[in-house]
Amino acid sequence: MIIACYNIKGGVGKTAATVNLAYLAAYEGARTLVWDLDPQGAASFYFRIKPKVKKGGKGLLTNKKTLNDVIKGTDYQYLDLVPADFSYRHLDLQLDDFKNPDMQIRKLLKPLKTEYDYIFLDCPPGVSLISENILNAADRVIVPTIPTTLSLRTLDQICDFCDKIGVARSKILAFFSMADNRKKLHKQMIENPPVNVRLLKTCIPYASDIELMGIHRQPVAVFAKNSKAGQAYQMLWNEIMSL
Amino acid sequence: MKSPQNTIFTLGQETDVASLFELLRRTYPAHDASETQLERHYLDSFDWRLYRNNRVCGWDMPGGNGRKKGAGVFFIRDRSTHDSICEYPASRIPRFSKDITHRACRRLLDEILGIRALMTVATIAVKSRHFNILNREKKTVAVLRAENHTLTGRVDPIFLTGRLIVSPIRGYRKIFTQVRQYIAEQLQLPVAQVSLLDELLTAMGRVPDPGIPVYAGKFDSSLNTREAVRILLRHLFQVMQANEPGLRDAIDTEFLHDYRVAVRRTRSLLSQIRDIFPAQQLEYFKHELFWLGQVSGPMRDLDVYLLKFDAYRQALPEAMQKHIVPFHAFLERHWKIEHARLCRAFDSKRYQKLIKEWRVLLDNDNASAQRAGSQPAVSPETANAGKPVRQIAGSRILKLYRRILREGEAITPESHDGDLHELRKTCKKFRYLIEFFHGFYPENNVRNLLKILKQLQDMLGDFQDLCVQTAQLCGFAEQMQQEGSADAKTIMAMGVLVEKLNARKAVVRTELEHRFQTFAQPDNKAAFMNTFSLHNQPESRTVR
Repeated sequence: MIIACYNIKGGVGKTAATVNLAYLAAYEGARTLVWDLDPQGAASFYFRIKPKVKKGGKGLLTNKKTLNDVIKGTDYQYLDLVPADFSYRHLDLQLDDFKNPDMQIRKLLKPLKTEYDYIFLDCPPGVSLISENILNAADRVIVPTIPTTLSLRTLDQICDFCDKIGVARSKILAFFSMADNRKKLHKQMIENPPVNVRLLKTCIPYASDIELMGIHRQPVAVFAKNSKAGQAYQMLWNEIMSL
Repeated sequence: MKSPQNTIFTLGQETDVASLFELLRRTYPAHDASETQLERHYLDSFDWRLYRNNRVCGWDMPGGNGRKKGAGVFFIRDRSTHDSICEYPASRIPRFSKDITHRACRRLLDEILGIRALMTVATIAVKSRHFNILNREKKTVAVLRAENHTLTGRVDPIFLTGRLIVSPIRGYRKIFTQVRQYIAEQLQLPVAQVSLLDELLTAMGRVPDPGIPVYAGKFDSSLNTREAVRILLRHLFQVMQANEPGLRDAIDTEFLHDYRVAVRRTRSLLSQIRDIFPAQQLEYFKHELFWLGQVSGPMRDLDVYLLKFDAYRQALPEAMQKHIVPFHAFLERHWKIEHARLCRAFDSKRYQKLIKEWRVLLDNDNASAQRAGSQPAVSPETANAGKPVRQIAGSRILKLYRRILREGEAITPESHDGDLHELRKTCKKFRYLIEFFHGFYPENNVRNLLKILKQLQDMLGDFQDLCVQTAQLCGFAEQMQQEGSADAKTIMAMGVLVEKLNARKAVVRTELEHRFQTFAQPDNKAAFMNTFSLHNQPESRTVR
């Protein structure tokens, strides 16, 4: 199953969700791969893997290298990573050179679908050809959403974008991320969730343990399994699995 | 996810792991984790299916202070390389592959185990110490694990050879090669030649054989009939004996199945190869073996229902599926009663007498594997005893084949279900004889003909099962009503199930006609006759 973590907005907890959910999947014994598609390479950083892919994104698209060639094992059993590369910033332009430019990522992932039970895509923010590729390739698109007006507006934009490119809305699973129960607005938004998209019950709290991932360079469950954030990610994963 | 190829070194008794890691640390930056203790249960089926497929399956339970509920790990590894194939957290040992929650693990074990249960074959205490080689980012690029193993559960624990397992991390092959080379050349540790499980089994004095004696199926062509039959009966008796403990302990359904097959084959052999034992003696055994078949039948029937229960449930409309659940409870309850009844039968004087006398008969004249013609078969009731087995068996096989054709051709759409059952029984007898004496015939021919026969038998078996099940299900529904264990919805669901089975039965009955026609088509007939014809038997086919 390919699970993309996507949002048009940046800084909503996409990478944290990808890294933590992928870790939990692998912990349960599922063969799991994360593809860090964001040229910022945050997921690669969390896994302590150099954000470098030989021949870059273009090499993958032109079959000079396959994804299989560039996979790196993480510190965790059954969890592998395709690292980010700074060249991914040009991926949009490179994709445009191909016939069926919106299906290239799906094509690259196809050989790995039997090798892995779960493939997580950590997507860069924005609306682009990469987003289109990701939405087409994924079986599920999880959308971390901060409970604010602007974030909910973005969620609408994602739904519209899906309609426009012919991707089923049913793929989209939104969840509240960075929810701060001290903020009245957050509480109100959570109490009155949007109805035009499937919203998961689990909220990922705004928690320092998630920020500490950058210090530890580890998923939350490794250094703070029983923390609020650690438990929230576990609940989120259980909820996704139960669908 | 491609499995890495581990390298396993053995650690001498005098090797100090701490010093070894200290030496490594001088060359490679590393994280040395503290020692962990665990209890490892090695698992396999009764007939060592995992071992024979080069797999090691087990369940690790953290020991010492770290022990907590749900912290166990179930694993499947490659027996030779120790590479992990599947691993997932499990709070207890799964009994069957269907109990495994991990999809890939379940699929893998299902292919190997089928419906056989996992049993603990050995338990060891493991002291393990990890040593992760890190790069500049402090990322693990190779993993070393030193393990010490002690065979537990004995008065004097046995210490097995310690091992140093070096595992590569995908994408960091170079460092793995360097470390491996360093250990081999600088530390001069030898690569392990024998897998840990093999070493463990040797220490325990256990041989991973299939548990059930395997029948080679080949005789010296000059052997007389009585001796050949005696060899076969002895083998079948061993199969019965080997399955009895597992049957009593209710480990899995295969023990009873194999036991019953051995009884059925024994009865078939006694009835098909005639005039080799005194009639009076034979009558007693035939009667008692029939009793054994009868006394073990109800439990087998219930086993079949329980094995098929999921399929039954899925055959029902979704809204009805939950109503059938009380039927499962009924089956389980009655299964326990029948199991206890069978165990009592095994403990009975009648059974003990049968076993004792059967053994006497089989061991009698054990000393000489007599040659054909040398046996003075004086009495007419043992007239065939001294004749060459090849001749007697061959003639019987041909007779049975002709009987199958006769019975099959006589079946019309109006024929009674019982006629099909008779045909099925004849096919079984025919099959058993071929399997007993296949060594006298060309191997490839026999294999191909058995395939054709099996296709017919499978369909006849399905039909008979459907006949029995539809009748029994009605009986069970009545019984459940009387016991008060089923409400109207359950009875209705069972009624729907009977309808479905009846519909299936009608389809199978139609298909059977076509299947028999295939079996009896001229080229198949010619192949059967040609293979089993007495004239075509090689004069002195020397067999094992």
